[in-house]
Amino acid sequence: MATELQGDHAPQTADEEVPLVGIGLQRAALGGVGFVVFIALWWAASLFQPAYVLPSPVAVAETFVAEAASGEMTTALGQSIQHWIPGTVIGTLLGVLAGIALAWSPLLDDLSAPVVRTLRPVPPLALIGFAIAWFGINNAGAAFIIGVGAFWINFYASYGGVEGVSDDLLDVARSLGVKNDLELIKAVVIPAASPEIMTGIRTGIGRCWMLVVASEIFGVPGIGRRIWRASNNLQVDGVIAYILVLSLMFLLVDSIFRAVQRRVLVWR
Amino acid sequence: MAVGDASGSTISVTGVSKQYDGEQGVVQALDDINFGVSPGEFVCLVGPSGCGKTTLFRILSGLESPTSGEVVLNDHVVTEPNDNMGIVFQEYHLFPWQTVAENVAFGLKKSRLPSNERAERVQHLIDLVGLDGFEDSYPKSLSGGMKQRVALARALAIDPALLLMDEPFGAVDAQTRESLQDELLDIWQETAKTILFVTHDVEEAVRLADRVVVMGKNPGSIREIIEVDLARPRSRADAAFGEYYEQVRELIHN
Repeated sequence: MATELQGDHAPQTADEEVPLVGIGLQRAALGGVGFVVFIALWWAASLFQPAYVLPSPVAVAETFVAEAASGEMTTALGQSIQHWIPGTVIGTLLGVLAGIALAWSPLLDDLSAPVVRTLRPVPPLALIGFAIAWFGINNAGAAFIIGVGAFWINFYASYGGVEGVSDDLLDVARSLGVKNDLELIKAVVIPAASPEIMTGIRTGIGRCWMLVVASEIFGVPGIGRRIWRASNNLQVDGVIAYILVLSLMFLLVDSIFRAVQRRVLVWR
Repeated sequence: MAVGDASGSTISVTGVSKQYDGEQGVVQALDDINFGVSPGEFVCLVGPSGCGKTTLFRILSGLESPTSGEVVLNDHVVTEPNDNMGIVFQEYHLFPWQTVAENVAFGLKKSRLPSNERAERVQHLIDLVGLDGFEDSYPKSLSGGMKQRVALARALAIDPALLLMDEPFGAVDAQTRESLQDELLDIWQETAKTILFVTHDVEEAVRLADRVVVMGKNPGSIREIIEVDLARPRSRADAAFGEYYEQVRELIHN
C-alpha cells in the first residue's frame, strides 16, 4: 500500500519565475540607455581630440563596416580561430583534468604543490619566448599561449569544486555499490563539482579571447595582429574596430556557453 | 532482558571497540559492543549524544572499521559498505543533480536487472514512499520530509537485507516526523526488512522498535537491551508505553 503524503508539501518554486519578461525588458531598456549615453560621451570627447588619440564613434563604425564588407574581418577571424579553438579546448581539458586529479589524490597533490605554486604566477605573455622556440611563429605557438591562460583558470576552478564535494555524498555512493575511485569520480565527484567546473570553463573562455592579442604579437596572423598593425600606424579607429570584433566574438561564445550551462545545471 | 545473544541473526556484533587519538590522549569511543539482530526485526539504538552511536552506525555500515571486534552480516564480515545493506543518513544526502527517479535508481546501475524491470522497481518504490508524481523533480524543489522519503526509496532499491538508519527523522519537524514514523512502520511490515534505527529520541525508539539497545557514554557501551512487548500501532498515551519510556530514560540518564 502506498503511503499518503500527509501535511508536508513541496516549497513554492523560486522567485525567478515571477515576471521574468517584465524584469528582462526593464534591464534591457536600462542597458540600452547606458550604452547610448556612453556613445554620446565618447562622441563628444572625440570632437576635441585628433583621430590618433580618440577617433569618433562614427569613424570607428565606418572602419568596422569597411573591414567587414571587404572580407578582411572574416579573414582575420578565420585566422584567429585556428589557434583560439585548439588553445582553448586543450588548455581547458588539461586544466580540468589536472584540477580533478590533484584535488582527488592527496599523493599527487603533495607531489605537485611546490611546482604548481611556482608556475602559477607566470603570465602567458612571458611565455612567448618559449612559444616561439618550442613551436614557432605559427598557430601552434599562439595556441600554446592561449592554452596556458585557459589551463590555470580551469585548474583552480576544478580543484576547488572537487575539494568541496562532501565526504557524505561519497559515503552514500559507496553504500549504493560504487566501488572504485574512477567510478566515484565519474558518478559523483564530477557531477557534484560541475557548477564550479562550468564556471571555470566560462571564465577561461573569456580569458582566451583576451589572449588572442598577446598570442599574435610576434606575427601570427589574425585579429590581434591587425590590432598591432593598426596601432603601429596610429590607426586607432582600426584598433577599436577590431577590439570590437573580439568583444562580439566573446559575447557570442559566452552566450552560447551560458545557455549550455543553464541546461546542464538545471538542477541548481 | 539480557544483552543479546548474536547467533542465528541477520547481523551480529562481537566485541566491537573503537579507539582513536584525541587531543588529550586516547578516546574510547566504543567499548566491547555485543548484540545481534534477527531477520525481520526492528531494532533501535538509543543513547545520549556522545555515546558513540553514530560511530557504531558507521562501523555497522562499513564506513569505518573497529579497532577490535567484528560485525558479521549474513555470514560475511563487514569491512566496507556492501549492497546487502541500505543506508539512510540524517541529512538525506540526495544527489542534487539527479531527479527523484534517478536518485532512487542510482544503486541499480550495476544490477543485472533488465531496464524495464529496473524502471518498474523504481516506480514501485516511488509509489511506496508516497512520492508518485514527483519522479522528475529535483531535490531542490522537495521539502525535508520528501527528501527523506527519496533517501529511503533509494536505500530500498538495492533490495538490502538490512536497512540502517542514522537519525533519519532528526532534521524534520515533529509533525512530519510522526507521519514518517508511521510510514516507515507500514513499509517495514510490507517489505519485511530488518531495520536498525539509530536515534536519540527515546519516545521514537519505544514507538518503533521490537527491541531497544540502550547505550551510555564514557565509555560508549551497551547498558541494556530492552524488549518492547507492545502491539502496534503504539500510543504515547498508553500506560505500558509510558513504563517502557521511563525505563529507557532512566538507563540513559544514569
